[in-house]
Amino acid sequence: MNFTILPFVMVVLLITMGLYTVLFKRNLIKMIMGVAIIQNGVNLFLVSLAYRDGYAAPIWTSAPSSDMVLPTPHALTLTSIVIGVATTALMLSFVIMLKRHYGTVDSNETRRCRE
Amino acid sequence: MSFDLITHSPTMVLGIPLLFAFLTPLADKVSKELRDAVFMMGLLLTVFFVFVMSYEVYTSGAWTYVFGGTESRPTSLTSYFRIMFAADGFSALATITVAITALGAGIYSFAFMDGHSGMEKYYALFLLTFAGVNGMILTADLFNLFVWFEVTSIASCGLIAFQNYRGKSVEAALKYMLISVIGGLFLLVSIGLLYGEYGVLNFYYLAAVMTGGLVDKIALAIIFVVFAMKASSVPMHMWAPDVYSESPGSVTPFIAITSMGSLFVLFRILFGMFRFSMGAVELGTLLIILGLLSMFIGVSMALKQSDVKRLIGYLSVSQIGYMLLAVGVGLTTLENGDYGTFGAMALEGGFFHMINDGVYKALLFLSAAAVVYATGTKDLNRLGGLAHRMPYTTVFFLIGGLSIAGVPPLSGFSSKLLIYKSIYLYHPILAIIALVVSIITFALIGKIFYNAFLGPDLGLTRGEVPTSMLAAMMILTVIVVVFSLFPNYVVAEIVVPAIEGLGVIP
Repeated sequence: MNFTILPFVMVVLLITMGLYTVLFKRNLIKMIMGVAIIQNGVNLFLVSLAYRDGYAAPIWTSAPSSDMVLPTPHALTLTSIVIGVATTALMLSFVIMLKRHYGTVDSNETRRCRE
Repeated sequence: MSFDLITHSPTMVLGIPLLFAFLTPLADKVSKELRDAVFMMGLLLTVFFVFVMSYEVYTSGAWTYVFGGTESRPTSLTSYFRIMFAADGFSALATITVAITALGAGIYSFAFMDGHSGMEKYYALFLLTFAGVNGMILTADLFNLFVWFEVTSIASCGLIAFQNYRGKSVEAALKYMLISVIGGLFLLVSIGLLYGEYGVLNFYYLAAVMTGGLVDKIALAIIFVVFAMKASSVPMHMWAPDVYSESPGSVTPFIAITSMGSLFVLFRILFGMFRFSMGAVELGTLLIILGLLSMFIGVSMALKQSDVKRLIGYLSVSQIGYMLLAVGVGLTTLENGDYGTFGAMALEGGFFHMINDGVYKALLFLSAAAVVYATGTKDLNRLGGLAHRMPYTTVFFLIGGLSIAGVPPLSGFSSKLLIYKSIYLYHPILAIIALVVSIITFALIGKIFYNAFLGPDLGLTRGEVPTSMLAAMMILTVIVVVFSLFPNYVVAEIVVPAIEGLGVIP
C-alpha cells in the first residue's frame, strides 16, 4: 500500500477549515460555504482512497494490460457530489427565506424558536 | 424468473413510495381529487408491502435481498459487493413502526393541510421521506445507508419548512438540515475509513473481518455520534424541540419516526457490526450513560415549557432515553453471561418500547396538533376547557398521554415494566431513576391535560376537528389499545423475531 500522503493532508486541512467556518462564523451563508468545503474534503478523501500505485484507472476502452483499481469509491464520490449539490441548494434556499422573514443572515439573530 | 411479489417485497417497500412520490405532482395536473387518491394509494400500497414482507419474515424466516443477484442468500464473496437488503425480524419491527405512523400522519394531512397551496409537493416529500426511512432501515450496505440518510434528511427538511410563511419553521428546518448534512458528511468519512481498510461496504462482511483497530474505533465513534444525534439523544438533542414544535402538526410524528429510524440503524450497526470486535460491554455502557442523560435531561427540560408541542418534544427525547438504556443493558449482557437472566428481557423491553413509543407519540403529537388546529395557539397558559367542545380529541390525548406515562393498563406500561424489571437486576439505581422519570412524565401529561382540556369552557374553539383527522387519531388509538390488551402476543410475534434478526449473521 504505497499511498501518497499529500492528498490526505489536504483532506484534513479542508475538513478543519470547513468545520472552523461552520462553528465560528456568524453569517449563515459563510456557514453553508463551510459545509461545502467539508463536502469537498470528504470527496477528495474518497477519491484518494481509490488510488493505488501502479494501477490503471478503471476505464474500459483502451484498457492497458496492467491491473485496474476498483471503481467503487469513484461511484461513491459521484453520488456524494450530486447529494452535496442538492443539500447546498436546499440550505441556501432556506437562508433566502430566513432573510425575507427576519431581515438578517446573522446566526445570533436567527434563533427565535426558543422565545 | 417470474416476478414474485413476496420475494421482492423489500424493494417494493421503497419502490412504491418513490414511484408515487413523483406520480402525485403529475396527478395534480388533472385534478385535486386524483392527487389525493394517488397519494392515498401510494401510502396504502407501501403499508401493504411492509406487512407482506413482515408476514413472510414471521412465517418463513428472514432472507437477504441481493440486488442484481439471483440467489436469495449470499453464497460467495462476489455477492457481498452487491447492495443487499436485510429482510429480517428487526427490519419488520422497524418498518411496521414507521408504517403505522406514516398511515396516521398521512390520513391526518388531508384535513390538516387543507387550504395550503403546493400540496402535491407536500405529498411527494411525505412519500420520499417514507421511502428514505424504509431504505435506511432495510439496507445492509454502508454507502447505500448514506444515500437513504440524505434522502430522508432532504425530504424531511422540506416537510418541516413546508409552512414557509412562518419564519420559525424555516429556522428549525435550516438547523436540522445543517446538523443532518454535517452528520452525513462525517458518516461518509467513517464509511471511507472502513472501506479503505477492508475494501467492502457490506455490514455482514465487515462484521466478519473487522479487527477492532484504531481506524475501526474512530469509525465507530463517528457513526455512533451521527446516529445518536439524529435520534435526538441528549448531548445532541438541541434540534429536536425546535423541529417538533415548528414543523406542521401533521408531519411532526413523522419527523419523530425518522429520528427513531436512525436509532434502529444505530442498533443494527452496533449489534450487527461492531460488537464482535469492540466489546459489547463498552458499547452497552456507553448506551446506558446516554440513555440516562436523555431520560433525565429531557424530562427536566420539559418541566419549564409552556408550548404544548415543545413540551411533548422534550418528552420524546426522554422516551428515547428509555430505549437507549434498555438496549444498552441488553448489549452489556451479551458478553458477561447475564443474557439469559435479564439481558433478553431488557432487549424485549427496549424494542417493545420502540414500537409502542412510535405509536403513542404519534397519537400525542397529532392530538396536540389538533388542539393547535382548533384554537390557533400552542401556549398552555392561554388554553383551557377544550374537553367541552372537543370530546374525542380529549379521549385520544388521554390514551396517548397515559400510555407515555406508563400507567398500568396501557401499552407504555407493559414495555416499561419489562425495562424496570431487567435494569433493576443490572443495577437498582437505574430502575429508580427510570421510575422517577416516569412519574415526572405523568405529572407533565397531567399538566397539559389540566391546562388545555379541563376547566370552564373559554370559547377558544367552535368544535371538534374534521373527521379525517379524528379518523387518523382513531387508528393510532386502536393500535395503542391492541398493544395494551395483547402485550404478550406482540412481544412473542414481533419483538422476539426482531432480537433474533439482529443477532443472526447469514
